[in-house]
Amino acid sequence: MVNNKIEVKNFNCYYNHDHILKSLNINIIQNEILTIIGPANSGKTTFLKALNRMNDLNITYSYKGEIFLDKNSIFSMNMEKLRQRIGILFAIPLPLPMSIYENIVYAPKCLKIVNKKQDQDILVERSLKNAFLWNEVKDRLNLSAMKISGGQQQRLCIARTLAMNPEVILFDEPCSGLDHISTEKIETLMTELKYKYTILLVTNNVKQASRVGDKTAFFLNGELIEINQTDKFFISPKNKQTENYITGRYIIS
Amino acid sequence: MYYFGKNMRKILYIIIESIIFFCGILSIIFVILIFGFLFKESFVFLKNYNIVKFLFGRFWYPTLETALFGILPFICGSVLVSVGACIIAVPIGIMTALFISEVASKNIRNILKSLIELMAAIPSIVIGFIGMATIVPIVKNVFSIPTGLTAFTGSLMLAFMAIPTIVTISEDAIHSVPWQYREGALALGATKWQMMKIVILKIAMPGIMGAIMLGIGRVVGETMAVIMITGNAAHIPTSIFDPVRTLTATIATEMGETVKGGIHYKSLFAIGFVLFIITFIVNFIADIFLKKNKNL
Ligand SMILES: Nc1ncnc2c1ncn2[C@@H]1O[C@H](COP(=O)(O)OP(=O)(O)OP(=O)(O)O)[C@@H](O)[C@H]1O
Ligand SMILES: [Mg+2]
Repeated sequence: MVNNKIEVKNFNCYYNHDHILKSLNINIIQNEILTIIGPANSGKTTFLKALNRMNDLNITYSYKGEIFLDKNSIFSMNMEKLRQRIGILFAIPLPLPMSIYENIVYAPKCLKIVNKKQDQDILVERSLKNAFLWNEVKDRLNLSAMKISGGQQQRLCIARTLAMNPEVILFDEPCSGLDHISTEKIETLMTELKYKYTILLVTNNVKQASRVGDKTAFFLNGELIEINQTDKFFISPKNKQTENYITGRYIIS
Repeated sequence: MYYFGKNMRKILYIIIESIIFFCGILSIIFVILIFGFLFKESFVFLKNYNIVKFLFGRFWYPTLETALFGILPFICGSVLVSVGACIIAVPIGIMTALFISEVASKNIRNILKSLIELMAAIPSIVIGFIGMATIVPIVKNVFSIPTGLTAFTGSLMLAFMAIPTIVTISEDAIHSVPWQYREGALALGATKWQMMKIVILKIAMPGIMGAIMLGIGRVVGETMAVIMITGNAAHIPTSIFDPVRTLTATIATEMGETVKGGIHYKSLFAIGFVLFIITFIVNFIADIFLKKNKNL
């Protein structure tokens, strides 16, 4: 049974008076990975940040239209609660300057989600295991998070997001700074995570989209040009611009 | 022509380098000289006077026939006034810094920053003078005590002097925390306040610690305002509403009356040496804190 986790209805948004996202209509299905591809400045990041209202931090931002999470408008929800339900990961992993252990429990502790030490231990172990990082760091949880590799830092940030127990996870080019081994680890991780979460992945890497996406969407200049099951999307794109982009013939107009 | 330019630049580099080196060495030499001088004078004093009696003696009668040089009252006075000032100044300073950099709008931020810089520029004698005319009678009346010249009043005044230092430097530290960290915390579902707690204080902590230490440095070394306001009573205080006398105040008030080279004169150097040690310890503790933060 397919279940629409997020429904975007005729959504428009603006920075100052620049129209960034134009009449978007997208359904994001629970426990699926939707990958979003598109050239630079096509509004991919803006779209992700619209979903958990990170854009709203910018005072020049405004929007029109509706976005529903589980049939409830995200604009009538408590913003903090929304961001706990829809977690986001950025291209550059930014662990806090403290130990691996602390990185994971710090926010849950501040937000009073866990208190007892043993609950914290459980949370750390579970989150790190879910982020496929446990085996690499289990003996040095007190090591500074600044001293692990970039790929490990990215997975640590994923673990940190998982520790907040979200429902949807937004990945914004999570592998852009990583080598192919770390990239592969994160891709495997995402395909595992989709059984528990709903995932959106923005990527500049068309191949990555074809590898991990259940569905793929192509954005261009703030418009959704095409969205389809990933295999159909890549085998028989309906739109000429999509075809040009995925075959590498895209020319910036 | 090209080679000439290259050589010129090389020479310029060497000159600049040696100037920087010279300045660096110079300040080190100054510190060593000051330390040596203090040490020498206090060493002579401590040869004539038992160090335990000096540090823990309760009476300071430098002009008596059998002179007593117990500085415990001054140590207590200094510690009491300084700790009091820190308790007042540190939270207020950090909150103000947070407010200026995180909450206030750009205009208010600029206004507040220049006001606080102005506050830092007020000479301490003027602060002492104003404090004597305003705070002292207020403290006297509010707490209905015989005199308003107390350790508490001194702490208030000193806090007022330390706050600008703490605010300006910690504001810089807070302001330079990259935006991405804030975004990361908010993305986890933190409110603005939690975000400050989660990231800003954590990441800006080395800078904030530095600010606090500089603030404490100002407080411990301050003399004029303290002389005017704390009452200058050379006895061990029993509460914060007692008049006290600090180490610095003792040196400043008595230096003029001593015979140069006499034991009283030398005892003041020994006090200076104790002050030196205290500031050294404060800096040392600060260093430990900063290192601890850096290692992470
Ligand atoms: N904070 C902002 N203020 C003003 N304009 C913005 C802001 N953020 C994004 N934009 C504009 O929105 C448009 C879309 O930007 P966005 O970052 O969403 O692109 P993107 O598809 O993520 O690009 P990239 O692949 O380079 O990450 C751009 O034209 C950009 O200039
Ligand atoms: Mg982007």
